[in-house]
Amino acid sequence: MPNPDELATLPDADVVRLAQQGRELAFRELVRRYERPVFSLVFRMVRDRELAEDLSQDAFIKVLNHIDRYSPEFKFSSWLFKIANNVAIDHLRRRRIDTISMDGSPNASSASEIEASTIELGSDQESALDEMEAKELGSSIERAIGGLRPEYRSCIMLRHVEGRSYEEIAATLDLPLGTVKTYIHRARHELRKALEHTRA
Amino acid sequence: MLDRHLRTDEIDLLLDGEEGFGVAPLRAHARSCVQCQMDLDRAREVVLLLDGLPDFAPSSAFADRVMSEVQVFEPWHAAALATVAKFVPETRPARVAAGVGAAAGAGLLTAASVWAVSRADIGLLLAQVGLERLQERVAAALSDVASAALGQSALDMLQSGGPAFAALAIGGFVAAVGISVVGLRAVATTSRSRRH
Repeated sequence: MPNPDELATLPDADVVRLAQQGRELAFRELVRRYERPVFSLVFRMVRDRELAEDLSQDAFIKVLNHIDRYSPEFKFSSWLFKIANNVAIDHLRRRRIDTISMDGSPNASSASEIEASTIELGSDQESALDEMEAKELGSSIERAIGGLRPEYRSCIMLRHVEGRSYEEIAATLDLPLGTVKTYIHRARHELRKALEHTRA
Repeated sequence: MLDRHLRTDEIDLLLDGEEGFGVAPLRAHARSCVQCQMDLDRAREVVLLLDGLPDFAPSSAFADRVMSEVQVFEPWHAAALATVAKFVPETRPARVAAGVGAAAGAGLLTAASVWAVSRADIGLLLAQVGLERLQERVAAALSDVASAALGQSALDMLQSGGPAFAALAIGGFVAAVGISVVGLRAVATTSRSRRH
């Protein structure tokens, strides 16, 4: 069994094979390699540090507990990013449902009823953590990314932060190649407009 | 040469460094058109900003938290290989010696197995002798128990009386037990009805 230094030099496929043989150090090496990229992707998707850690953890646990199902014909990182992206998108979809329900009862028929059934969140919930997040995601480009649709956001992250090709993104996100190109094109266009708006 | 400004999808082609057919005229147009060159520069600026985005790090306990939820499972074949690997010497001469020893041991074991199979009749005879001895021991133990419970004279009588006498004795014993049970139940029922 290679030691941690030797493991760090092995390609993903070899480390995964060692993990499939039940070597704990190999599992740790996979976490070490991908904790930052996966966390960054999820953090930019959900824009909440604590939640991003929980969701990233879920993604790693799902992948590592089913490492025996990994098929070497695909890149390990693509599989991991796919799970992480799905976890984040699922969360955003659930949250959108929660947000709608907080915006007033769907049965309300008048403006006063909607107002009466709306749950208001206090502004004093902002903590030091929120401030740190605001700082981390506070640059104009990060704010512009935050305004993109989640599907655009994951495509643009994989393309520009992770340096993936269009084909890899299509395989990772289970999308047709043309759709990926369209998403990235629209995302760049929206970012350009948002940044011009900021400058103006 | 194009006689119109570049569309945003065409600007994207230039940003991605595409080299396919039709890209050269777009590039030539961008070089000669101030408006398109400006659009391309703005688009490139966004791409540079995106490319320069940093990775964020999770908390230092992240890996431990993940590992505490991961079930590290060693498959049996990997465990078997690891066990065998422990017994393999590290130096080459020692490995060769161990290999020769293992081959000799395996050869001897194979020869012994072949001999044993070819002499199956001897094995059968030994098994029969063993079985007979076991039967004798069980019979002696049962006889000891019976003599302790009924006495040696009753046992002698049973043995000398033959199978008919033994069957009669067993039948009488069963009948006595039955009559006793019925009698006890009758006594208990009578005493209960008197109490009520």
